[in-house]
Amino acid sequence: MKKLLLVISVAALFPTAAIAQNVGNCGWGSKLFDGQSGVAPQVLAVTTNDVLGNQTFAISSGTSGCTQDGTVKSNWKTALFIDGNKDALARDMSVGSGEALDSLALLMGVEAQDRDAFNRAAKSNMGRIFAKDATPEIMTALRQVLADNAQLARYTIAL
Amino acid sequence: MHFLLIVAALLAPLAALGAEEAYLAQLVARARELRLAERPEWRKLLHYEPDLIGGGLHGLLDNRDFYNSPQGKTRPQAELEATLASFFSDVEETPRLQNPQCAFIARRAWLDEELEFDPVRLPLRDCPRFREWHAALNAQHLTLVFASAYLNNPSSMYGHTLLRIDARDQDERTRLLAYAVNSAATTDEKNGLAFAIQGLIGGYPGTFSILPYYLKVREYSDLENRDLWEYELSLRPDELERVLRHLWELLPAYYQYYFFDENCSYHLLGLLQVARPDLQLTAPFRWWALPIDTVRAIAAQPGLVARTVYRPANATIIGARLGTLSEEERGIANNLSLGRIPSGDALRGRPGPRAAAILETSYDYVNYRRATGKPDVPDPARLARELLVARSELNVGSQAPAVDAGTRPDQGHATSRIALGAGRRDSQSFQELSFHPTYHEVMDPEAGYVRGAQIEFFDTALRHYADGKTRLERFVPADILSLSPRGDFFQPRSWRVAGGWHRSFVRNGSEPLVAFLDGGAGAAWSDRGGRSLFYALAETALRANRELDGGYGVGAGARVGAMADLAPRWRANAYVAGVNYFVGESDQPRAIGLQQRFTLGRDSALRFDLERRREAGRQFASGMLSLQLYF
Repeated sequence: MKKLLLVISVAALFPTAAIAQNVGNCGWGSKLFDGQSGVAPQVLAVTTNDVLGNQTFAISSGTSGCTQDGTVKSNWKTALFIDGNKDALARDMSVGSGEALDSLALLMGVEAQDRDAFNRAAKSNMGRIFAKDATPEIMTALRQVLADNAQLARYTIAL
Repeated sequence: MHFLLIVAALLAPLAALGAEEAYLAQLVARARELRLAERPEWRKLLHYEPDLIGGGLHGLLDNRDFYNSPQGKTRPQAELEATLASFFSDVEETPRLQNPQCAFIARRAWLDEELEFDPVRLPLRDCPRFREWHAALNAQHLTLVFASAYLNNPSSMYGHTLLRIDARDQDERTRLLAYAVNSAATTDEKNGLAFAIQGLIGGYPGTFSILPYYLKVREYSDLENRDLWEYELSLRPDELERVLRHLWELLPAYYQYYFFDENCSYHLLGLLQVARPDLQLTAPFRWWALPIDTVRAIAAQPGLVARTVYRPANATIIGARLGTLSEEERGIANNLSLGRIPSGDALRGRPGPRAAAILETSYDYVNYRRATGKPDVPDPARLARELLVARSELNVGSQAPAVDAGTRPDQGHATSRIALGAGRRDSQSFQELSFHPTYHEVMDPEAGYVRGAQIEFFDTALRHYADGKTRLERFVPADILSLSPRGDFFQPRSWRVAGGWHRSFVRNGSEPLVAFLDGGAGAAWSDRGGRSLFYALAETALRANRELDGGYGVGAGARVGAMADLAPRWRANAYVAGVNYFVGESDQPRAIGLQQRFTLGRDSALRFDLERRREAGRQFASGMLSLQLYF
């Protein structure tokens, strides 16, 4: 029954693609790993100021799978943040500072003494991290960049 | 003996039932004695408001399961008693269903405080879903966020407010990770007019939702280019808890959304005011609730706003960046962002910080055009990436300039205006009394408002001439004007829409109240310092009155003008306008004028208007000095 509800809710969010792809249990994430333009635009498409579409209702009521009563489940937080902030992250990495980069570091649990190294690694590998546009590829590239850095290798598990 | 035991075992649940009923009766009696249903806490938790006619009350929430009693929407006492009864429910929590104790957790907390539930006879249930949600929010304080006006969307002309839940593990650098509480009309309507009409008559359900703040920042800052103002509220921990518990009750609820009064900002106040018993935020907003006025209501509470943070929109940041670039550097940034030159050649030999400033500006500009849907380069994503990679190879820090926040929106002039004026037209003197309930005319003091954006509703003027007649001079339900300067980087359109009734001379010599509907489109340009604005609009005009030949007129014309801030408090606007009515009654009215405004204080200004006009073959000049007061 639970699985059926899941399928229905995912289907309600993304009428055709999601079921065919058999993407697991996150409505946003199904779009995320579909290699398409991202979930944030999907949400944005229905949120204009004072006006929301029904999709946001699904998100706030927890039926989209990666959220519970409106809050994002912890295992989805980093992926959704990257997906929703690609432009800001790429910009922050290119200068080596900024609130999107700080927020990512916080989500990944990067400790204070490693922040400078994290920012430097992000800056000098910006082109490599953002070689592709899709969120999973960005995450993979970031993981490799961290793995190549002795000081930062331990943070690869956060991705 | 055995028999007795069996009977006792069978009767035990019944006895328990009897005990429950007895305890409920005891609680109800005590609640009546304390007159809890009349207390402000209860009124606020159920969102009761006085009826427009009669002495009754009604709750603003419209889903039936927000109330435990079938009469709950109109009877606070019945609702309170039914709520107490519901707390004895033995429903187990599932992902789809909550026990009433959990679904109405704020009501439970307050009633428990007042009635001190006996933990044996009415045990407090664990509420795992609420508990997990509460833990995920990890709230430290609340921040009210105001998104400034956005003229291109009727639902947000007045701005918008939302609430942000700031978590303990965040700081000002990582607020993107906070959750935002948004209150909004739920609809897929894309047509602005249909939305406006449905919104006026309460045709949409309004709901509360929670989503990551970064999605809202992206929507406002990057897509709509609206500056955000964040007002951090200083609530005590117990006050914060009351708001969170009540938010939990509201998430599944809905209300009938009304654009003017029961709108998003109003309902956000309704949520916030449960923080303290003596906090009454919604009361002044019975007739209309402009988002900025709801922000003022909060800023006016002593000690409630701890501090404010300004978050400039992408376009605002680009504007500030352009101010730090030389003419030549601006040209390079523009060319780079259009992909006309490769970055290596353009920046060779420049000092690192200058090259970085140019690259950062060009990237922000590519992104701005991408977000606002201007497909003027073949592959903007690739171009953006190239610019960022070039930037990442420069070993210098961020060149983003500090952006001047200007006046906080809650510190601008108040949104209603009354004006008392005296003047002469030809040789006749007159006095004029005018009023508009909202909101900002382009000549009003600008501090705290969006530059060049005018939204005036229901502007009404009465005029008394020396010869004894007092008459309605004008009644203009809507007059909206957007003047945005164009430059190498931004090319917005300027436009105007106005409709209502005003006095005009017609060919038979009378001056009736003529219905009009004007529309205009054009452009505006600014000088480098941004103190002057030159504008030109092509206009169409419709008018109707039975004194006109055929009863109507259709025309086209133009308006050009120059508006300048001659001193910080002194603004002047000189204009020439003309229309040729060629269908219906034909006429060629012309006007040339000079308006001046001197700001006296935050809520007062002097206006001095001069105009020379030709209408229906009659020429006349007029002048008026008036005192404008904002309240």
